[in-house]
Amino acid sequence: MNDTYLIIILFGSFLGLMIMGAPISVSLGVAALSSFLYLGENPIKLVQVAFTSVGSFPLMALPAFVLAGALMEAAGISKRLVVLAESFAGPVTGGIGAATVLACMFFGAISGSGPATTAAVGMLMIPAMVKRGYDKGYASALTASAGGLGIIIPPSIPMVIFGISAIGMSVPREAIEMHGQFQTVSISKMFIAGVFPGLVISCSLLILNYIRCRRRGYQGTAEGWSFGTILHAMRSGFWSILAPLVILGGIYSGFFTPTESAIVAIFYTLFVGVFIYKELNWEKIVNSLETTTWLTGRILMILFTATIFGRVLVENQIPAIVAESMLSMTSNLYLIWAMIILFLLFVGMFMETLAAIMILTPVLLPVTYSLGIDPIHFGIVMICTLSIGFATPPLGENLFVAAGISDISLERVTNQALPFAFVSTLAVFIIAYFPEITLFLPRFFGY
Amino acid sequence: MGEKFKKFYIFMDKLEGYVCRALLAIFVTLLFAQIISRQIFGHSIAWSEELSVYMFVWFVYFGAAHAARLNAHNRVTFQYKLMPAWLPPKLEVFTDMVWVAFNSYFVYLSYDFVFNKMNLFWKSQTLGIPMKYIYIILPLGFTLITLRVLQVNYFKFIKGEEIIDPDSQEMGSLVNQAVATDTEEKSVDLGKK
Repeated sequence: MNDTYLIIILFGSFLGLMIMGAPISVSLGVAALSSFLYLGENPIKLVQVAFTSVGSFPLMALPAFVLAGALMEAAGISKRLVVLAESFAGPVTGGIGAATVLACMFFGAISGSGPATTAAVGMLMIPAMVKRGYDKGYASALTASAGGLGIIIPPSIPMVIFGISAIGMSVPREAIEMHGQFQTVSISKMFIAGVFPGLVISCSLLILNYIRCRRRGYQGTAEGWSFGTILHAMRSGFWSILAPLVILGGIYSGFFTPTESAIVAIFYTLFVGVFIYKELNWEKIVNSLETTTWLTGRILMILFTATIFGRVLVENQIPAIVAESMLSMTSNLYLIWAMIILFLLFVGMFMETLAAIMILTPVLLPVTYSLGIDPIHFGIVMICTLSIGFATPPLGENLFVAAGISDISLERVTNQALPFAFVSTLAVFIIAYFPEITLFLPRFFGY
Repeated sequence: MGEKFKKFYIFMDKLEGYVCRALLAIFVTLLFAQIISRQIFGHSIAWSEELSVYMFVWFVYFGAAHAARLNAHNRVTFQYKLMPAWLPPKLEVFTDMVWVAFNSYFVYLSYDFVFNKMNLFWKSQTLGIPMKYIYIILPLGFTLITLRVLQVNYFKFIKGEEIIDPDSQEMGSLVNQAVATDTEEKSVDLGKK
């Protein structure tokens, strides 16, 4: 059969090259190109896609947010947010652990990356936890697990990428006939939808942190909350707290597009970093530009080849085949969600998050459309699930960062991190089974 | 002469990096100017969005070449640990040659597209520049990526140098920093405001 050969060529060359260690972008590109040649299509399409997939205004949010995050780190904005979160630790059992989760949430509100969140928060909070008698392994594991919040709490780079991938895809006509019109995907909508799911995952981490700390006897400080410290941290962190308000407020009020709000954040950070905190110098700015350059270059190379790969999939109705075979196993939506989540969890363990989103969105999004799942809801569940992969072996970047910061073995961190990965997974199931958690807020804001 | 050549070499080695920094700084500033002019002066600069998008595309493909020079393109490599030690280096060379082949074909395609198939009268909407000159980034960018891949392989396998990708480099510097801050405690200067 024609189709089976195509699937073998497409997925065979992709997986084969990937296992041999070729860059993901190249594996996708070669796979797509060979199916073009097999199908006898004109490969000139590749050239057009190379330009149009990258040349879009909403996509410029990606380098803008990367640059804004790098500058905020260099300008000392991130550090002050973490210090502020730390001042809330207080007398509760596991308080400083809870403050770490809180710090990751604050930090997630200005950064869109998991390892960056772990690094920035861990640098201050892991030593702080160890000082209060926490086990190094536990402290690192908690930070690594909460670091995943960086991509769930908006702004989030994976959400930008999901938005771009999803906007480029049309809804299958049969799906509309069966389930009615779907809402359109936009990056702003994703940013709003991510808030409550982020809180659900944070709560699950906070609860487990409380239970584990009580069992281990990690008490809070004896003095109780020090309002002086909190006030001091708030006053010196004033300009830092304003940063997420500028970014998210601008987007939520509809005043700015996500790209514009990232641009405003860049100049806000430059202003605060140079004139108020006076920590930003020429060298740091150049370094931030440099990091943004290679990160964007490599991510968008994947976007280009993943776009062609996705086109080949969709034009040959491969997602429909996937959907059919899933429905032939079960028609229970809860079981289908479970299959999708477990699959994403598996992929997230082995593959870089953004690459996974760009490859899987064209496969899974049409499938979920034909099952009547809301695209925004699916996107959020996908990103939440993939974020767990940051703190699971064998490729958990957050674990590497946290183990590096506290200078202990990876195994020790990993063992302590697995329970957190488990509750995060439970939280993802809750988010998947109750779509309102995700969909309420965008509707409330009238999007 | 030798000194001059060395300087020139260092400059060329990071050429795409410099170009990208400049492009990034310019289009970010351009977009900011557009926001200011729209929100404060109520005047929208017609050509700024288009120009910044084109600069962005140039930035992306120059950036991809720079990332290739830094050996930063994402690969899945955990399976290398399960293979006999002699295999991974061979696979690295092989996959890089696949990359070079793919790029060469793409350069041919895009060169053909830009110089033979594209209509010279197809101009950009607000700038009025022939699209041909904007699309030139595709053959140019992919040629640069190919050259950088070959350069990295030359360093790795002929000169025997190790090229550490920026991710691992960052991790290394994080660890060093953490060890340093561990001893001096957290000396966040809160009063610096």
